[in-house]
Amino acid sequence: MTTTHFSDEIIIAYADGELEPDQRAALERQMEADGDLADRVARLAESRVRAKAALAPLLNEPVPAALSANIAAMVDKAEQASSADDATIVSLAARRRHGLSAGFARWDMPIAASVALVMGTAAGFLIATYWTDTPPGLRVANLEQAGLVAALNTIPAGDESNIGAGDRFRAIATYRDADGAVCREFEVDHADTSTVVAVACRPAAAWELQFAVVADQNNDGYAPASSLESLDAYLTAVGAGEPLSPDDEKTVLDGLN
Amino acid sequence: MPDAFSQELVALLPNLRRFAIALCRSRDIADDLVQTTCEKALQARASYQPGTRLDAWLFRILRNSWIDQTRRQKTEGPRIDVADAHFLVGQDGERTTEARLALDATAKAIATLPDDQREVLIMVCVEDLTYREAADVLSVPVGTIMSRLARARRKLVDQLGIDTPTKRSEDQKGLM
Repeated sequence: MTTTHFSDEIIIAYADGELEPDQRAALERQMEADGDLADRVARLAESRVRAKAALAPLLNEPVPAALSANIAAMVDKAEQASSADDATIVSLAARRRHGLSAGFARWDMPIAASVALVMGTAAGFLIATYWTDTPPGLRVANLEQAGLVAALNTIPAGDESNIGAGDRFRAIATYRDADGAVCREFEVDHADTSTVVAVACRPAAAWELQFAVVADQNNDGYAPASSLESLDAYLTAVGAGEPLSPDDEKTVLDGLN
Repeated sequence: MPDAFSQELVALLPNLRRFAIALCRSRDIADDLVQTTCEKALQARASYQPGTRLDAWLFRILRNSWIDQTRRQKTEGPRIDVADAHFLVGQDGERTTEARLALDATAKAIATLPDDQREVLIMVCVEDLTYREAADVLSVPVGTIMSRLARARRKLVDQLGIDTPTKRSEDQKGLM
């Protein structure tokens, strides 16, 4: 019978249950006949048991009180921050159901996060881009659907409509900007589950995209709070007025058509 | 009520502390390192993948923090003499029994291993990470884990005179 030399690497992998089945079988076959090999396996396996036992007392040392206290405080602080986050996460589905009223409430909220936050997290970020000027090859927030302009012109806040290619348009609010131009906050759910939160204004005869955040929606239909915080920051920055009442909005939309 | 992540983080503090002591060889520095690690972990918790081992993820943060720190200070850790290698010996006051002395001898032998071997030994043999998990913590191939671990365990076997269970009996000892 030919004997193979097994390295310490192979032996510890065997002892640790990390060896591939065919190597394991070969080593076991040889161990039956080779007492020295069996010894090496036993000793190297024992080294693990010893190491674990030797460092067990360290685990039983009490964690110093100061360290425990600091970390407990850190955890508390993180919990508070995350529950504050939860409060500002707005379900897109809920906003759809509540239409304007959810939009109103949100606009009064303090701006909790800087716009820059969004860039590193879940959302791509585009601001003040005119879609009419979109260079070829750049999809501006995936908003090139033909049906979008018609939807902007007709769908009242709180209502939805299909705009083709599996995309859904949802009007959130209509307001006038500081210059008196009609603006609309809206969302588009793309078939690929991303949601665009956007604002378009109509200073003259054409709609211009002023703001868009592409938020990856999770399975529950929630957009990251950061995308809505950046919208709040934008609305504040441009001096957006209060959303129009349904009657006023109807008058404005009728005037567009 | 802390959530599951925070609860598990707090429950792992003794393990983090043990790993930190093994890395930086000082309880005081280790405690600072554990605190830094928890701070970073809480900030970065969104990047933790649920279902994977939280301890492995924390070890990675801890180790990277330690490397950053030593790199900034541009200091190598002090060379450890066998005589000074008490940092892994437990401090629970119980140190008289023969069994306890054997444990302490093992702890000292582990303490004198080269850093790269010691950290792998602790992750795999003490914290029960798989080779793959340990390789991910260190960003090295599995083969590197195996060779460091084999060298570490070979040293322990030789230094501590680890014998096989069958040969520990008196009558066979004389034959060796």
